[in-house]
Amino acid sequence: MKARRMKRTLAKSPEAELSVEKTAHSKKKNKFRIFSKMKVMSLRSGMDIPFLFLVLTILVVGVIMMFSASYPYAFYHNHDSFFFIKRQLIFAILGVVSMIMVSNIDYTSLHKLTVPLLGTSFVLLILVLFMPAMNGVHRWIQLGTASFQASEITKFAIILSFSHFISLNLHRMHTFRYGILPYLLILAPTIVLLALEPHISCSVIVILLAAGMLFIGGVKLKWFGMVIGAIASALIYLVLFTDKLTYANNRIAGWLDPFGSSSGVDTWQTRQGLYAIGSGGILGLGLGNSRQKYLYIPEPQNDFIFSVVCEELGFVGAVLILLLFALLVWRGMLIAIRAKDKFGMLLGIGLTAQVGLQVILNIAVVTNTIPNTGISLPFFSYGGTSLMMLLAQMGVILSISRSSRMEKS
Amino acid sequence: MAKGITIRMQRRSMIVLVILVFLGFPMLVCRLIALQMFQGEYLQKMASQQQLRDTKINPRRGTIFDRNMNPLAQSATVWTVVLEPSYIDSEEKRELICSGMNEILGVEKEKLIKLSKKKSCYTIIKKKVESDVKDKIVDFKTKNGITSGLRLIEDYKRYYPLKNFASTVIGFTGADSQGLAGVEASYEKVLRGEPGRILTARNALGTEMPFEYEQRLDPTPGCSLKLCIDEAIQRFMEKAVEEGIKTHKVQNRAAAIAMDVNTGEILGMAVKGDFDANEPFKIADPAIEEKIAALPEEEKAKAKNQALSQQWRNKAVSDTYYPGSVFKMVTASMGLELNVVNESSNFNCNGSIKPFEGAKPIRCHKHSGHGSQTFVKALCNSCNPAFITLGQRIGAENFFKFYKDFGFHSKTGIDLPGESGDIFFSADGSMAPTDLCVASMGQNFSITPIQMITAAAAIANGGNLVQPHVVKEVLDENGNTVKKINPAPKRRVISKETARRVTAMLHENATNGAARNAYIPGYRVAGKTGTSQKIGLSAPGQMDYISSFCGFAPADDPKIVMLVFFDTPKGDHYYGAAVAAPAFVTAMQDILPYMGIEKVYSEEELEKINTVVPELIGKSVGEAKNTAASLSLRVVVVGNGDKVISQIPDPSSHIPKDGKIILHTDSSSSSSIKVPKLVGLTPAEVNKIASQLGLNINFSGIKLEEQGVASTAQSIPEGTEVPMGTVVTVNFIHHDSTD
Repeated sequence: MKARRMKRTLAKSPEAELSVEKTAHSKKKNKFRIFSKMKVMSLRSGMDIPFLFLVLTILVVGVIMMFSASYPYAFYHNHDSFFFIKRQLIFAILGVVSMIMVSNIDYTSLHKLTVPLLGTSFVLLILVLFMPAMNGVHRWIQLGTASFQASEITKFAIILSFSHFISLNLHRMHTFRYGILPYLLILAPTIVLLALEPHISCSVIVILLAAGMLFIGGVKLKWFGMVIGAIASALIYLVLFTDKLTYANNRIAGWLDPFGSSSGVDTWQTRQGLYAIGSGGILGLGLGNSRQKYLYIPEPQNDFIFSVVCEELGFVGAVLILLLFALLVWRGMLIAIRAKDKFGMLLGIGLTAQVGLQVILNIAVVTNTIPNTGISLPFFSYGGTSLMMLLAQMGVILSISRSSRMEKS
Repeated sequence: MAKGITIRMQRRSMIVLVILVFLGFPMLVCRLIALQMFQGEYLQKMASQQQLRDTKINPRRGTIFDRNMNPLAQSATVWTVVLEPSYIDSEEKRELICSGMNEILGVEKEKLIKLSKKKSCYTIIKKKVESDVKDKIVDFKTKNGITSGLRLIEDYKRYYPLKNFASTVIGFTGADSQGLAGVEASYEKVLRGEPGRILTARNALGTEMPFEYEQRLDPTPGCSLKLCIDEAIQRFMEKAVEEGIKTHKVQNRAAAIAMDVNTGEILGMAVKGDFDANEPFKIADPAIEEKIAALPEEEKAKAKNQALSQQWRNKAVSDTYYPGSVFKMVTASMGLELNVVNESSNFNCNGSIKPFEGAKPIRCHKHSGHGSQTFVKALCNSCNPAFITLGQRIGAENFFKFYKDFGFHSKTGIDLPGESGDIFFSADGSMAPTDLCVASMGQNFSITPIQMITAAAAIANGGNLVQPHVVKEVLDENGNTVKKINPAPKRRVISKETARRVTAMLHENATNGAARNAYIPGYRVAGKTGTSQKIGLSAPGQMDYISSFCGFAPADDPKIVMLVFFDTPKGDHYYGAAVAAPAFVTAMQDILPYMGIEKVYSEEELEKINTVVPELIGKSVGEAKNTAASLSLRVVVVGNGDKVISQIPDPSSHIPKDGKIILHTDSSSSSSIKVPKLVGLTPAEVNKIASQLGLNINFSGIKLEEQGVASTAQSIPEGTEVPMGTVVTVNFIHHDSTD
């Protein structure tokens, strides 16, 4: 296996260099000059063009759809149809700039950021609990006119710290002391703090990301079995012997019967989202023609934006967007697997999996496949700071790709 | 493999990748397929339901015309005033609109404020607002710059320009312009038209989306109707029925139907004890309203409903009654058709008859008996024993066969709502012997007036049962005929010959028989009177009566048949001959000339007929005298001129032979006369008084030399000052008629 891969890589390299020469000498292929220039920087230092292309495509589609979805809401609530798009556009541009900047930084220098970032994450998670509640939850930290979710930092901190520690202790991952304990010490307080906000959906993402990274890092499968068993028995206990989960129970009732009128269950958002998706049919009502965005779907520019996408672009449009996301995940994973070191690999996989998980969970919520919980759709949902951070993280992946051993155009 | 990326790491990464890309995403695609393809239609429907607002625009309802295109029911544009609470976004605006509407519409302000706070996009504050008020609202809106929150929507209001006129036949409409009675109800689908719609997309707040979704579908106006009813004929009938009700203190309303005998077209249908179709929910009879007002509170609503359904009820098609002796024309037809009797068959009447062994004797209305009589005489006497005998000759089976043929056993199918059917002795037509006896004289089974007149029309038109109908044509909005309603006769009931013979007998009856009160000189009336008993409503155990007359004219070529029907007269008389026949004459003596039916006088009639006053103005006195003498009229000359400058009575009025014409030859006026009381006298007495005073009398309802008649009405009231020679019409009826 090892030998075969080596051979393939070796076999590819001259071929790639050949094509670079060809392009450089060909007047016909002027339009590829930018790509060519990047390539000229050599295979090892060039960034991955397909990934960049996918990010930018999804970003453009996302911003357009955000504009369409937010238009009526902004009209009625902010008396300015362009209220959201103006902010989103600014952050998108800043985000792309920071992505390019980050992509030029050597990601290995992020090792040094691990502890400060982890510290910041905890500070913010504690700080946010003292922030005024919005809709009954403490998630937002206000910074002047802008605000951001503390958990956005947390997710990155978890990915970074896990990548850092796992890459350092890879050969000891099978032990409890090095394979489980440090991560438990990071994860447990994080989850507790998130639960206090409360922010269940983020906890789920954090747990899934952590589990995935530990899995790749080589933690023994029996630990997973034990944790899954513990969680399952805890859940069974809570459901059977306490009423601590009534809140969740109601959500599950609403999930199972979104059109029912059971008391105490607010399924308005889910129901309106489903109406929108169903109304789209195969080809959709056309861009800008969603009816459900007219105040039926609450805040259509946020978590439920995909239902507006389905209504306007139909099944075909929705599947094309899903395909773009799938390709992004595929390409991101490929970059990570071919990274020059374990740290880069783990970081790349963590960041890519975060995007993939959020997309899958968000759309699963919107399509009522799982109970409703607040997860935003990357690149689509409104939120300036989170979009900028997301793009910066994509910059990290691009940085990894610069030293990744693969064809990059 | 640089920097220790192990194969296990790669393998496990691939597992994560596969879970995400090959499990997560396909799962989402499956969900989308389920939602967008399989449940799409359902979800879309649910979405549309909440997104679309459907506002109905009422169509213009068709007009109802009489047969000469005089409008009887019309729709005019009115307005519905609507509040749009979701557009009232400030207290200031609410206050402005509510106080403005309070001022203009008179709706309570608190109520308006409450409505304006309702969570809806559309609440009606007043319906059927007229154009002048609408203009005020439009002014109010422009003055205050109100562009939203208050809206006017076009609607229509039904007007009945002639008010009570034919209201039970035309009917009326409800709050949503839906026909509730009469032709308005039976032709609802034709008149209504198709409502239009404004389909507006709305957002979750209920306000319209500011963008492109609004679709308007224009309403299709309803078709108009041209009735068979002739406004003039209807008017004559209503007048006659109203007079009859007043004169004879009729307790339970009255009706008259006039029909074209050959086509079944209803030329007039007067039901009195009616209502103003513009205000159908108001109790029209002030006496009843007072009575209800006096009732305890909890009984009022019920009593009011009862009174309303009573005044809306079309007696001519919804009431059933014993036809009584009027039915004898049908029994006679059966007898002649079956050849079990002829005009000269002899019947003996000694005041009662024992129809078969062991039966209770049935009395004739003339207790002393009619003696020996021909069949013609028996009909003219309306002799009960004679018709019982005839009934027995016909037999129950034949009786029921003809009963069905004449259309009594099924509804006529007239195009009016609420038609009743008959009530016969048994469903299969079997009758006990006594039943047959009383049935022969029209008792103990119930039919509707419209069934009776349809049967009479069959006798009049030579034996065909026609389809009675009220609507002649359906017209489109531009007045073009869409459909002509010309139903073919249903079937032949009796032979032409039988019909002719019965008609001749009925003509005799209305000339010299019990129905001679229906005699109209020159118009050859044929008819039959009827007085039927019914269980009294006014007091328990007391019998009440329905007085009716059914007749047609002219007997030699019948054109129009009319049934007059008074329910429970409580005046001096209750016999059909005394109550219904005069009303028939009152109406027919106007209707027949109006229809252009020519007078034909028999020799005998010519002898006694009134003369038409000639035009004498401008002639010399001598000439005038000669002309008058040639017509056996007398002349009184006033003044000293030699030419006639004016005359009383006016040319072409009718005065009896021997009447006086006063001729003025200069401007000196002759003395005026006070009209004396001319009611309750014999013709001879009236004649005497009149000639003493210099008045001319027009005798109505009798032949001059007749005995047993008394005057009942005079055209010019007692005490009026009139010039000498004025014509006073005096009505007479026979008092010895008993049926």
